[in-house]
Amino acid sequence: MKSQFGKKLRVMLIENNPVDRKVILKMLNSSPYGSFTPHFALSLAEAYEVLSTAKFDVVLLDLNVDDSKGIETLTRLHRKFPHLPVVVNTGSYQDDLGLKAITKGAQDYLIKGMYKSYSLIKSLYYAVERKRAEEELKNAYKKLQQTQIQLIQAEKMNVIGGLASGVAHEVKNPLATILYGVEYLNSALKTTDEKINLTLDSIREATKSANTIIKGLLDFASLTNLKKAPEDINTLAEHSVNLTRPQCQRMNVKLDMKLSADLPLIKVDRNRIEQVIVDLIVNANYAMNDNGGTLTIRSHTKKFMDHDIGWVDRRGRSFAKGDEVVILDLEDTGPGIKEEYLIKIFDPFFTTRRAAGGVGLGLSIARTIINSHGGIISLHNKQGGGARARLIFKANKKGSL
Amino acid sequence: MTKRKVLVVDDERGFTRMVKLNLEATGEYDVKIQNNPQDALRTAIEFHPDVILLDVIMPELEGPDVVYQFKNNDLLRDIPVIFITANITKEEVEAQEGYIGGHAFLAKPGTIEELIVCIEKQF
Repeated sequence: MKSQFGKKLRVMLIENNPVDRKVILKMLNSSPYGSFTPHFALSLAEAYEVLSTAKFDVVLLDLNVDDSKGIETLTRLHRKFPHLPVVVNTGSYQDDLGLKAITKGAQDYLIKGMYKSYSLIKSLYYAVERKRAEEELKNAYKKLQQTQIQLIQAEKMNVIGGLASGVAHEVKNPLATILYGVEYLNSALKTTDEKINLTLDSIREATKSANTIIKGLLDFASLTNLKKAPEDINTLAEHSVNLTRPQCQRMNVKLDMKLSADLPLIKVDRNRIEQVIVDLIVNANYAMNDNGGTLTIRSHTKKFMDHDIGWVDRRGRSFAKGDEVVILDLEDTGPGIKEEYLIKIFDPFFTTRRAAGGVGLGLSIARTIINSHGGIISLHNKQGGGARARLIFKANKKGSL
Repeated sequence: MTKRKVLVVDDERGFTRMVKLNLEATGEYDVKIQNNPQDALRTAIEFHPDVILLDVIMPELEGPDVVYQFKNNDLLRDIPVIFITANITKEEVEAQEGYIGGHAFLAKPGTIEELIVCIEKQF
């Protein structure tokens, strides 16, 4: 008789009881309802080895095997192979164990001795379908969530954009008056009175820092108008380094350029990306402030893998696992970033240098800039000390220049 | 040597006062203020400046409209105009080497030195 359930299933049977193994095998082989390629493992360890090299459609899992007991067996398997459908095959009559298995990621459960061949086979085929539907739903939900985040972000950008240019004009006018006023007093008074000079200097500095904040807001606003062209990341890195070299020298920071030759080009607005690199260099310099250090700037290209990123905002990225990307790393030899800061380091107005006049817009703007290029900016602490800032861009397709 | 005559047209009263104080303090300039852009033409004809500092965003009549009036007047047509505005940043002006669409531009806020350099470039 032809199989009622369709395609042949590769089944991993994790079962250490020889009698149960025999029963299951007999049920699978003698049934007219489905067809199977079974493989037995006596322990989780043995199963892991096979599962990581060969593709299986479904697992029939005894919760008590050589190296694991109880619901923990399922949890461990699920953690290691989250996309694999599992039917739990338990000898326990404990009422809630089966239901517990479902909540821990199994697609179905059977109680040994309580089922016949048809139920087993139906359960295995159903588990495969149920898992597929679950995954689809999960993916759709994830996509929906991402779209929602992007929409909110886009809307936020619009609002900030409109607000920023309005505020900028209204605030910069009085700032202009204040600055000219201070200049007049400065030259009209020509005083040696330190208190008066200090007052005038303070007003001037305050005005300038207010202007810097306005500039930051305008940066957000103008991100809707990027002038993208194919660029070499090495050229951008070198130019940014030239702009910051005096600061590096002043702060005793040694520069170590490790740029790979022949990288694919990336499609970016060069001024914007240089702005980000300069910002990251300045941040690294401040991080190493106490006793100088070395800033290593490294570029390379590779196929993107998820572990390439550390603490990161994944919004708007334009590449997936396996795509060719260009990576620029900036590694300092400072004390690294405190764990509690990592989570909010990209938030607007978050700064650890408020007292020294830090506004807290640098990384926030950097993130917005990189995201609007479909790239990723991430920060992590390196093993052995220091922090690494990483920029990842999708490589421009060859021939599309 | 006679002083250069500067007309500043801007609805920001404080700003125009500071321009006047600073420029006149150098002893090189004679500055006239006009805070109402609709009266800019009349003031310009009366004062006959050597250079005009002009805000861009003003109520009733905007900077480019004022320039249009000047260009249509035989007496004022050739007087250099410097737009001085909070609408653009210093970096944007520098990227265009100080001239946008054939007009000199200065970003607000800026320094008096920048203002004087820009004025002197017109002669």
